[in-house]
Amino acid sequence: MIEFIPTSFIFFLMAGVLALFPHGLMRGVLLLITPLLAVFHIWYIGFGNFWPYEFFGFDLELMRVDRLSRIFVLVFCLASFLGNLFAWHVRDTIQQVAALLYAGSAIGAALSGDMISLFFYWEATALTSVFLIWARGTEGAYHTGLRYLIVQIGSGVILIAGVCLFYQETGEVSFNKMTLESLGTWLIFISFGIKCAFPLMHNWLQDSYPAATVTGAVILSAFTTKMAIYALARGFAGTEILIYIGTIMTLFPIFFAEIENDMRRVLSYSLNNQLGFMVVAIGIGSELALNGMAGHAFAHILYKALLFMSVGAVLYRTGTAKASELGGLYRTMPLTAIFCLIGAASISAFPLLSGFVTKSLTLSSVAVEHRTIIWLALVFASAGVLSHSGIKIPFFTFFAHDSGKRPAEAPKHMLIAMAITSAFCILIGIFPATFYQILPYETNYVPYTFDHVFSQLQLLFFALLAFAILYRYGFHPAEIDATNLDTDIVYRKWMPSLLGLSIIVISKLYASMLINGSILLEYVHKSLSNSHGPKSARVIGYPSSAMVVNIIIVFALALIVIFVS
Amino acid sequence: MMENKKDDKLKKLPRLGMWLSWVDKPRSSNKIFISLILICFVLFCFDLIYPKHGYVEIENIRGFYSLYGFIMFAGLIFLATLLRVLIKRKANFYSPKDINSEKYPEEGLDPVNHND
Repeated sequence: MIEFIPTSFIFFLMAGVLALFPHGLMRGVLLLITPLLAVFHIWYIGFGNFWPYEFFGFDLELMRVDRLSRIFVLVFCLASFLGNLFAWHVRDTIQQVAALLYAGSAIGAALSGDMISLFFYWEATALTSVFLIWARGTEGAYHTGLRYLIVQIGSGVILIAGVCLFYQETGEVSFNKMTLESLGTWLIFISFGIKCAFPLMHNWLQDSYPAATVTGAVILSAFTTKMAIYALARGFAGTEILIYIGTIMTLFPIFFAEIENDMRRVLSYSLNNQLGFMVVAIGIGSELALNGMAGHAFAHILYKALLFMSVGAVLYRTGTAKASELGGLYRTMPLTAIFCLIGAASISAFPLLSGFVTKSLTLSSVAVEHRTIIWLALVFASAGVLSHSGIKIPFFTFFAHDSGKRPAEAPKHMLIAMAITSAFCILIGIFPATFYQILPYETNYVPYTFDHVFSQLQLLFFALLAFAILYRYGFHPAEIDATNLDTDIVYRKWMPSLLGLSIIVISKLYASMLINGSILLEYVHKSLSNSHGPKSARVIGYPSSAMVVNIIIVFALALIVIFVS
Repeated sequence: MMENKKDDKLKKLPRLGMWLSWVDKPRSSNKIFISLILICFVLFCFDLIYPKHGYVEIENIRGFYSLYGFIMFAGLIFLATLLRVLIKRKANFYSPKDINSEKYPEEGLDPVNHND
């Protein structure tokens, strides 16, 4: 009975049913029940391949449940539940339907056993999620949504091109481990890389997430990038190049996050950095590393959602998420401040919180392989996480200088969503062994060794001390309302400028060609007219009877030739 | 905004907010700063004596995590400040095709003040 429907279809079905209900309580309940039903479904269906389906001669598998896909589906359901609870007040049908379809698509992708259904879900996440940006309803959001859509759809187009080539080479479309040895697999890899925000392909993330609605950003933060992480883990675990790509991903965003003013953009850079840790783990590819990747993805979705929720609640109450306009909000939003601090401490990997027990799996997997430089880079990146997500977000929003704003505390449903998310962050941190049971591989890893806790505390407290000293003596960069350039300047300014320039150059060339060409034509016409025209010496010197004689001669010659041959 | 700052004493803040407002008392920041230094000092001293079992050799150097955390964090802040010189532009640089200089539309907000 439970196999009656694939898990993702529960979301699609409910999205259809939702439109039948009037706005209000019933819709809210439906939005919360759907992910819970899905959790029940994925947990009780067990492991195995369900829903084989033939599509134009291809064997598709809509439900491949194993330990790797199950943990992603579980956390996607959880994120959907928490996001929908946070968005309880939203009465916009488009956002509600989009939230369900988006979560369903990401879950469908995580369960796809073949690359054709993966492609459909891959594109569906793009098409459904863009409405969470457009729902903001401003001109800026419209253009940002378009840019987001172009990149996301582009990733899907590259994916299907890669799948076609892969099928041509191997005759297979099932989605399993691949190696980077042909154009097909490289295209699939790049397609995953775009949604995973690889360096130089990352800027869609920081561009679009801060443009989403208050609740849209919470939902967006959970799915697309982690779906790509899952796809990389499934397709390219143990691919060496990912270690280096991931390391760069952990490093460069921390510098940008440090000087960014929009708190939701800071969180987007931070998200990019967190993805880097997961990509490194996929590159390492050992059981310990893949456990680290999955555990980190699970914990990360929760604390990142918590941070987006707290900043979202501030935006909801004050109308801004810019650090330069915020500060001192703890006075009237103390609960939101505390939830934000829990999220900040979790992402910074303070002991007894979720980040500590999950990130340490990844760091240990790098350390046991004695990759010292990578390990040093990741430890540095951890200090960077503390800097922007651990300190900057809560400090400049809720503490630091008093902005004079006295907004009311976040609405109850937002507080409940943040409280539940915080509880997960704490529970995972306190009971890691229980949490580790849902990881892809069985493990008896112990995160709370004396060495580990003590070294982490040293790293964090000394980084905090560095911040305290720099802030106290005025060396910390001030919060300034500005736009910081990133790689998106290439397609937002340079390429349009280059296009404009080339249009000017081409049109000028064309105009000069026309003018010079007409002068040349006129000259040729005049010369011909002079030499062969009615008044030319050639025409005047020969009467028309001469022409008749000439023709008769030609005809006569022709007759002779025909007769002889 | 300034009125809000003055009114804090007259109009009640949430109890939790009142407790947290300890951090803004004149000497609190000094107390926090000094406790942080003390904690770091204790951590650093203890690091010099306990037996280490790191996988990576460099981990076993005494005081490694303390110094690395401090230096790299400070380096990050300075480098980021330098980066700002290179990449900072006006807030409306991409305007109007960007949300950076737009106000968030009011229909999506509920800007209630604490005292309302």
